[in-house]
Amino acid sequence: MKFIPDKEILLFKSCLVNVEYPGVESSTCYVFDKIGVEYHVDERQSCCTGLGHYYDLFDQLSTITLAARNFNVAADTGHKNIATMCATCYAILKKSAKILNQNEEAREEVNGILDDSGLEDMEYSSGDMDPARNIFHVAEILFNKREEISKHIKVDLTGFKVASHHACHYCKVHYKDTIEGIRDPNLIDELASACGVETIGWYDHKRVTCGAGFRQRYTNKEASLAVTGEKLQALKDKDVDILLHMCPNCQMQFDRYQPLIGEKLGTEFNIFHLNIAQFIALAMGADPYKIVGIQTHTVPVEPLLNKLKQPFNLKEDQSKRNSLKINENRD
Amino acid sequence: MRTIKLNKNSHKLVDDVLKNLKASPDLGIYKCVQCGMCTSICPGASQSDYDPRDMVRRVLEDDVSIVDDENIWNCFSCYTCNSVCPSGNNASEVNQILRQMSIDKGEGILKIQSFAAYGDSFIELGVGSVPSKFFDDMVKDVGPEYMNLKLDIEDIRSELGLGSYILPEKSIDEIEEILDKSGFKARLKRIKGSKK
Ligand code: SF4
Ligand code: SF4
Ligand code: SF4
Ligand code: SF4
Repeated sequence: MKFIPDKEILLFKSCLVNVEYPGVESSTCYVFDKIGVEYHVDERQSCCTGLGHYYDLFDQLSTITLAARNFNVAADTGHKNIATMCATCYAILKKSAKILNQNEEAREEVNGILDDSGLEDMEYSSGDMDPARNIFHVAEILFNKREEISKHIKVDLTGFKVASHHACHYCKVHYKDTIEGIRDPNLIDELASACGVETIGWYDHKRVTCGAGFRQRYTNKEASLAVTGEKLQALKDKDVDILLHMCPNCQMQFDRYQPLIGEKLGTEFNIFHLNIAQFIALAMGADPYKIVGIQTHTVPVEPLLNKLKQPFNLKEDQSKRNSLKINENRD
Repeated sequence: MRTIKLNKNSHKLVDDVLKNLKASPDLGIYKCVQCGMCTSICPGASQSDYDPRDMVRRVLEDDVSIVDDENIWNCFSCYTCNSVCPSGNNASEVNQILRQMSIDKGEGILKIQSFAAYGDSFIELGVGSVPSKFFDDMVKDVGPEYMNLKLDIEDIRSELGLGSYILPEKSIDEIEEILDKSGFKARLKRIKGSKK
């Protein structure tokens, strides 16, 4: 088992969490506080370039120079371990650290750029950031403290059929560092289990990508949504109620586009989408609007919460705008 | 059975790929056994004529026309190929390098021009954003609530106890300096200025 820290953590802000599912960040903070993870969020930290990188817009040199700056921001407050909420940030930062450590020529070039920018004190030295021992996904930090999570569970979520979508950029890029399975990934399933919920485990398409494909979602929409639709169909075949995520980009692809895909395919999917940190926070009894942030979801989460024995203070107008009903005959 | 013939002079393209800054030090392109595992699980291949196994073959055979092949733009960058390759090759990474070669040559610029606004936003705010043309598409596809979300996002964030996501002035200046000195600003200008 690889070493996973529970302190001196920089919680790495993600541009997509920021503006799409900010509840992922507030839920992560909520859960970290409950289980005793020591972390820091830094306003100086920039985006990793992730989306721009995979749009092929950014060049690798710019990406690693910005990574060197962010690594410096992390170390500067004594929070040298990075935990990302986004799988793309995870992979981009690891690759950047590898290049900075191993490629002397590139490192010198990066330091030259930092010097020319008046940021000499941010220069990177080989080994400053260890890609395997300092860069993590939030889900790994949570996995390491799963026994602590179990102690704080207040809400019974066992009435639902739950499945997991493991982000490719966590599982498949730096796969030597991936925990709990690459071809049969179970990291999220294990975390659900810590909340007392057994997932459906393996399903057809479990390891398949979300279909976003970065540029494909925008320039090749039919192909992109076809891939997403196939995965949604595989989940529907198993009567899944909740799909758990670990990356804001996949969550967007499924949650934002599910109604449109359903329309195109003439199917109603009735699947709710939650990040694993949102799910754990809910299970711990967090407020749906003040912590979990369900008000930014496209597929409304209220019908799901209405099914629970625990009374949540739900907003009328939110649940009215949905036409979605959870499978009534499964109580 | 088809074999790949490698001779001393046929290494030009593959050497360029391996020399690229994007190439991981352990990129196992020479070890590719043409098994086709990558293509068999590739979403790009299932949705188009893109074929990662064949792309790798053409690189190894020094077939430079692969750089201009439209199909390389159908890769999803999902790294599924990487996770199943028995030889430690990474077709996804090879693809990304070929795309950069196409951009450097000029043709590829037209493929990425529409994403340029992401770069502008990054220079301005230190965070990228979806280009407005694609944003309009999203509002159409997702619904008017998506527009409301964008208008209310600051309020929702404070409801959740989160601060502003815009970086402090000093940090934005640092990032702009870096992106100037790294050549990204010039690159973005070139991308925006290129005409058909
Ligand atoms: S990977 Fe994506 S979400 Fe994460 S910081 Fe980079 S661009 Fe933003
Ligand atoms: S599933 Fe899609 S968005 Fe998520 S990590 Fe994979 S490619 Fe990225
Ligand atoms: S890249 Fe890997 S998976 Fe693809 S054909 Fe070559 S050896 Fe097989
Ligand atoms: S990353 Fe690999 S598997 Fe995914 S679309 Fe590209 S070539 Fe295919």
